[in-house]
Amino acid sequence: MRKNINVIKELVRLRFQHLMMFRIGFFGPFFVDGSLFVVQLMVFSAVYANVERIGGWEHGQMILYIGTFSLINAINMVVYFFGVNSIPAKIKSGEMDLYLTKPVSPLLRLSLEHINPGSLPLILMSLVIIVYGAWEAELRIETGIVLSYLFWVVLMCILYYEMEIIFRSISFFLISTAKMEQLESACLELCMQLPGTVFYGVYKVVFYCILPYGIMATVPVKSLVGECTPATVLHALAVVGIFTGITCVLWRGGIRCYNSASS
Amino acid sequence: MNTQKIIETKDLTKTYRRFQKKEGLRGSIQGLIKREYEEKTAVNSVSLTVSEGEFVGLIGPNGAGKTTLIKMLTGIIAPTGGSIDVLGYYPNDLKNAFKKQYAVVMGQKSQLFMELTVNDTLRLFKEIYEIPEADYRDSREYFAELFGVKDLMNVQVRTLSLGERMKMELIVALLHSPRVLFLDEPTIGLDAVASKQIRKFLKEINHDRGTTILLTSHYMEDIRTLCDRTVVINHGSKIYDGGTEELFGRYQRNKRITAVFDRPPYRREVEVPKEQVNDALHELMQYEPKDITIAEDEIGVVVERIYREGEQQNA
Repeated sequence: MRKNINVIKELVRLRFQHLMMFRIGFFGPFFVDGSLFVVQLMVFSAVYANVERIGGWEHGQMILYIGTFSLINAINMVVYFFGVNSIPAKIKSGEMDLYLTKPVSPLLRLSLEHINPGSLPLILMSLVIIVYGAWEAELRIETGIVLSYLFWVVLMCILYYEMEIIFRSISFFLISTAKMEQLESACLELCMQLPGTVFYGVYKVVFYCILPYGIMATVPVKSLVGECTPATVLHALAVVGIFTGITCVLWRGGIRCYNSASS
Repeated sequence: MNTQKIIETKDLTKTYRRFQKKEGLRGSIQGLIKREYEEKTAVNSVSLTVSEGEFVGLIGPNGAGKTTLIKMLTGIIAPTGGSIDVLGYYPNDLKNAFKKQYAVVMGQKSQLFMELTVNDTLRLFKEIYEIPEADYRDSREYFAELFGVKDLMNVQVRTLSLGERMKMELIVALLHSPRVLFLDEPTIGLDAVASKQIRKFLKEINHDRGTTILLTSHYMEDIRTLCDRTVVINHGSKIYDGGTEELFGRYQRNKRITAVFDRPPYRREVEVPKEQVNDALHELMQYEPKDITIAEDEIGVVVERIYREGEQQNA
């Protein structure tokens, strides 16, 4: 454990040093990601300006939902997205060899090798939106509620991470996974704009159980607005547990059947 | 020399399944419905034993199975059949305790961070291998001194020459004092001077630190200079395992004699079997040559002979 923390610290240090080698590259993402976020907000404003309730949620709750999804997405972008995203290329090129031969978890190293501080402003902006949403929804802020909300955000970040690993682990078994990644981004785009409360029937099965993007921001917001039922809690915990298992099996199975690349 | 066996394989085999697509659009459509696969045996029943402290060369033509064998020994890929034991472990279990005891350098894959300095990369490896600060500093100093790269440790890797970069790769690999070092084409693309330097360092590391080294190379100069023992692999099978000099002695059968004269034909070149050199020289001397040189068979010819005849003998 202590070794892993030291490795993580060194990876973060190296990443900062790497980014600081290029001055424009270091400061550029702050502006680029910030601008993208503003554009995203404008799209949301346009969509929700004339809508009072969506899936039973009022305007304030919708703002909380948008802020929460942005927060989870921003944490993903800062911490592990770029590292995880490089996995298929490393499998195809055989570069994975170098990760497998080092006495540290290849997944840990791969995930944290490309942290992206350029997306940090997104986290701050998301927090601002959440605070604004809480004010708009006239929420009574209590420590227990905030802690419960944070617990779900962390858990959903893990679920998000696992979904990314699952999609990218398929590269161990298939030559091209570009279409899978397209499916992933289409689901994300949809669920970023619609809370899980709007899904019914087969769509609910898909977005709650098979590709559980529908619960990622919905459950934390439910906990914040006091709509989290025991069934919601059990379902969310079960989904995270099951997807943790799937991720482990798929990753380990992938490593076992990894055939490297011809040199 | 310590004779403890640290690598042992028995009938080690690796087969791959590859899709065979028939030509053209029709073949592509057929491939969608019913696929035909062929089994490709990359490594075929290779039994090998390496003792601690040995310097073993692994040679073979392209696609012979050398790199696949190295990848199985380091645990990167799992064997299809046979048994394998490296340092008491089954490599593909990928246990950290096992990975701490070896290092692998692949000539075509770099483990350095190109935009940063070697010292930055070394820091990460210090944490990965849990090397105490004092040991880390000692090792870094020792290798920087040995490889003559003290002034380059704080230079961006991208700006280093290929030879300098390979020295850095070796420093990174050796930092944690591995018991076994796997080298896959470490001198690929290097000029004669850089290759010679790398060979000198490898010899010192093997001799002074007792590191067991398994080296694959297409350059016979590497193998002849460094390895007391050579394993030849062709089409996935081991066709020779023994002394390097013995191998070259067996296949280096001819000598090339070049005689220079003052009068026509001015220059004469003959290739004769080793045992007939005396007779040939005796005959040439009758023509009063100005100069005579005797050279070994060209290395390329010898290698070709090793692969061709070794394969026939093995069959």
